[in-house]
Parts: sequence; C-alpha cells; structure tokens
Amino acid sequence: MERSTGYWRVALLALPVTVFAVFIVWPLFSSFYYSFTDWNGFNPDYDFVGFTNYAKIITDKLFLNAVINTVIWMLAAILLPTALGLALALLIDSRVPGGALFKSIFYLPICLSAVVVGQIWIWIYQPDWGLLNTVIAQVTGDHPRYAWLAKPDTALGSVIVAWSWQQTGLSMVIFLAGLTSIPGDLLEVCEIEGANVWQRTRIVVIPLLTPATVVVVALSVINSLKGFDILYIMTGGGPFHSSDTLAMHMYNESFKKYLMGYGSAISVVLFLIALTVIRIYFRELRRVDEIYG
Amino acid sequence: MIREFNPWPTVIFICLACLALLFLAPTVGVLLSSIKTTRDIALGQLWAWPETFFLGNFAEVVNNPAVHRYMINTILVAVPATAASIALGILAGYVFAKLPFRTSELLFLAMISGMFFPPQVILIPLFRLFNSMGLIDTLWPIIIVHTALGIPICTLLMRNFFATVPNALREAAILEGASEWQVLTRVALPLSLPALAVLATLQFTWIWNDFLWPLIFTNSDEKRTIMIGIVNLRGQYTVAWGVQGALSLIASIPTLMVFLFFQRYFIKGMTMGAVKG
Repeated sequence: MERSTGYWRVALLALPVTVFAVFIVWPLFSSFYYSFTDWNGFNPDYDFVGFTNYAKIITDKLFLNAVINTVIWMLAAILLPTALGLALALLIDSRVPGGALFKSIFYLPICLSAVVVGQIWIWIYQPDWGLLNTVIAQVTGDHPRYAWLAKPDTALGSVIVAWSWQQTGLSMVIFLAGLTSIPGDLLEVCEIEGANVWQRTRIVVIPLLTPATVVVVALSVINSLKGFDILYIMTGGGPFHSSDTLAMHMYNESFKKYLMGYGSAISVVLFLIALTVIRIYFRELRRVDEIYG
Repeated sequence: MIREFNPWPTVIFICLACLALLFLAPTVGVLLSSIKTTRDIALGQLWAWPETFFLGNFAEVVNNPAVHRYMINTILVAVPATAASIALGILAGYVFAKLPFRTSELLFLAMISGMFFPPQVILIPLFRLFNSMGLIDTLWPIIIVHTALGIPICTLLMRNFFATVPNALREAAILEGASEWQVLTRVALPLSLPALAVLATLQFTWIWNDFLWPLIFTNSDEKRTIMIGIVNLRGQYTVAWGVQGALSLIASIPTLMVFLFFQRYFIKGMTMGAVKG
C-alpha cells in the first residue's frame, strides 16, 4: 500500500515538476550565471567578465533612472488602484441597485490585453482629437493640443493612469471577496450601538479588511514589477527614457542593444527586489492569519 | 415598520453611475472609432454619437489575410498551452492535496512562488535555450513557456479544490480496488469541473492577451500572434484610426466572450489565486 502510494507520487509529479524545473527554475539560476558573462545574444561563445556587469549597474545613469521610475510606478500602482478599488468595493457592497452591473463595468478592463488598453489610452491622450484634450478644450475654451505621451513630464504619469484604470477592477473584486467574510451580526451590533455608516466603515470594516488589503498591495507591487507590456505599447520607455522602468530597461539592454550579459545582471536585481517583496508578503500574510485567524 | 427616507442609496448610486461612465469612456471610444471613418475622427468627431454606422473598418480587418494568420497562430498557442498547463496542474495538485509527503509542503510553496516573479528574470536563458534548439520563430517556445508559467496557478487552484473532495471517497475507491489514477480521473476530476472552468478561462485570457513572449520568440510576420500583429499593423494603418479600433475589437472578441459568459469563474479564479496565494 505504502509503496504503491510512493510510486503514484513520483509518477504524477514527474511531468509537472520536470517542466517547472527545466523552464522556470533552471533559467532562473542561469540568469545569475549569464550575468557574469558578456554574451551578446548571437554568438554561441562568451567570456566571463566577473562583476563587470554589476559594476556597470552602479555607474549606469539609465539604470538609476529606471529604478527611480520603477519606484514611482510602484507607489502609484499601490496607491491608486488600492484606494479606488476599496472605495468602489465599499460602495457596491452597500446593496446599491445594479451592483452586479457596476461590478462588471469596473471589472471589464482586466479582460482586455495590454495592447488594447494601450491603444485605447493612446487615443485618449492624442493631441488633436483625444478625449482628454477635447474635455479640456470644452471646459477652458482653449484647445491645448498637448501631447501627453510625448512629453517627458507627463509620459510616465499618463501610463500610470491607464494602468490604474485596468488594475482597479482586480483590487475591487479582492476587497469585495474580503467584505463577504465580515460577519453580518457584527455590523448589526454596530447599528444597534448607534454607530453611523462612516464610523462603522472606519472602525469595524476597514480593520477587518486587513487580509484583503495585504493581498491587494502585494499583488499591486508584484504586477507593477512585471509592468512592461503597457509601457512598451504606449511610450516604449520614452521620451528620453522618462518612462523607463527596470523591466523596460532590461528589455532594451538585452534585445535592442544585445547586451545579454548586462541584461541578465539587471534581471538578477529585478529578481532580488521581487524576492524581497514576496517574502514580506508571505510574512505579513502569516501575521494577518494569526491575528484574524 | 415605517422607515424614514434614507438618501444614502441614491447618493451612492449616482456616485457609482458617474464613476462607471468614466470607466466605460475609454472602451466606448474604441467602439465608436471602429464605426467611424478616418475623416470623421480626424475632424474631432470621435467622441460624438455616430449618425451612421460605417462598417468599412471591419470589412478591411476581416478581409486582411494577415489578421487571419494572427488569429490562427494565437489559437494554436492558447488552446494547447491552456490544456497542457491545466493537465500538469491537475497532476501536481492531486499529489499535494491527497498524497502529501514529508517535504511536499515545501515543494508546493516553491512551485507556487513561481507566479510572483517578473518574467524578465527567465527571459534571456530561455531565449538562449530555444535559440540553440532552433525553435526561435516557431510557436513552440510560446506554448512551452505558457505551459510552464501556468503550472503555479493551476497547481494552487487544483490542490485547493481537490482538498475539498472527501478523503473517505478516495479510500472507499481504493478499497474497491481502484488505482490512484482511477481515483483521480473517475472520482476527483468529475467533482472538480468548476475548478477546471475557472482555470480554463483564466489561462486562456492571459495567454491570448500576452505580448512579451511572442515578442521575444517570434520575428517573422508568419508566426506573429494577434497582439503583436495589431502593433505591427498599426504601421500599415498609421492614420486609419477606425481600422485600428476595429482591429482591437476583433482581437478582443475571444476574451470579451469569456468575460460575458464565464465572468463568475474568471473572478473566482482571480480572487482564489490571490487570496490563497
């Protein structure tokens, strides 16, 4: 009996574990390996260059620029969709008529691809007939003809708005799932004790949403580190690298300049950042589990 | 009991309605563009209600052989990769749920963490691997990578679902002389159809919408998937905004279908994956 169970474990796990090991784990470790080489992407041969690529990272102004943009991008990606998603979830959860329809409307952008979302927002920012400039023209009576995506001052911010538009629905459904786990009698007690809606939300509901908040924030950070497609579509990291993030910078160095060794070093840094975030996430999740059981 | 008038539901409804309009505006813009002529759009008429429905943009897209090729390529990637990743998730999820062993929790966590890392981390070694195998500019690397990247979420959801299948059921079947494989395929799997629906919608949508992997692994127009295809065709239709709109819409049809008909499963998958992760 026991032997046969062991046999089945191996038989069933063999394929998934092998595929995972070969195409995810091995490449992960290889990235470390290639980050010590000068591989150019074409030539099968390469040389070991020690820490040269890492030394380059420290002096690379574009890398520092990408780190700063990633931090801005990450902070905005945490704040905007989380705050908006929470607000929407609370409003929809108040048994408003048409709640299911509202939920679908806010959720719809998640199903669209980055390419399509990028396309939509490129048109909103279009200088001549884009929605944003059209609205500004209607309100101020003066058509700005401002190219939002082509100006270093506004490029990154404009993409962040598009990204938040897409991500808010995800935060909203996670908060909604969290809201359903709050016991109804607790809210009833609040009502009996004379707490108004605002007090109830602030003192009871939001603290009880802590687990959902941890999940939303962690997902926002993780997704923002992955954020590449929409930037590639909307600005390509430009103008003048003003919307370059680490993922974008890594792509440009590796597949535009064919500095695969250097690109690997950037991806190692990206990996270490992601690892830190994931560890904090799991630790917080465990802590939250202990408190809220 | 007579309740006094409560203004809050009305206020909340109006707030939500305004926000919903704001949220819908971008999508509506694409819909509008697809039924307008380029001339109308250039004249600043994009955001106005259309007086006539212009279908020329759709005709242009539907009759473009390149679009057919992109669509077929995307189906050839998305369908097998969705099926394969779910199949692998079923195998691993079953072991983690029903046949745990001493280090299985650790192995499980290691596999799950795979879904949190930015794909850039494994980009270069995979490019080198597939390059040396001569598979660059074929659909194979995209299928393989999506299968592998799907393993974490599929394993997680299948494990959680299998865990709800009573152990007594498995033990009874084993006593009756069923093998582990028969328990999996005849007992556990038929009970897990909702989980399969969740995973099928999630995986299909992600793979269909993906941009990065086909960008890295293909370079000829023959092998492009629809999302890369749209970006390429933009060059061809630089100022034909209406055609671009129709193209975006047609490329989104499969995922919009999933959204319309399987939204419940899709949302469930997103929240399950997130909350339990």
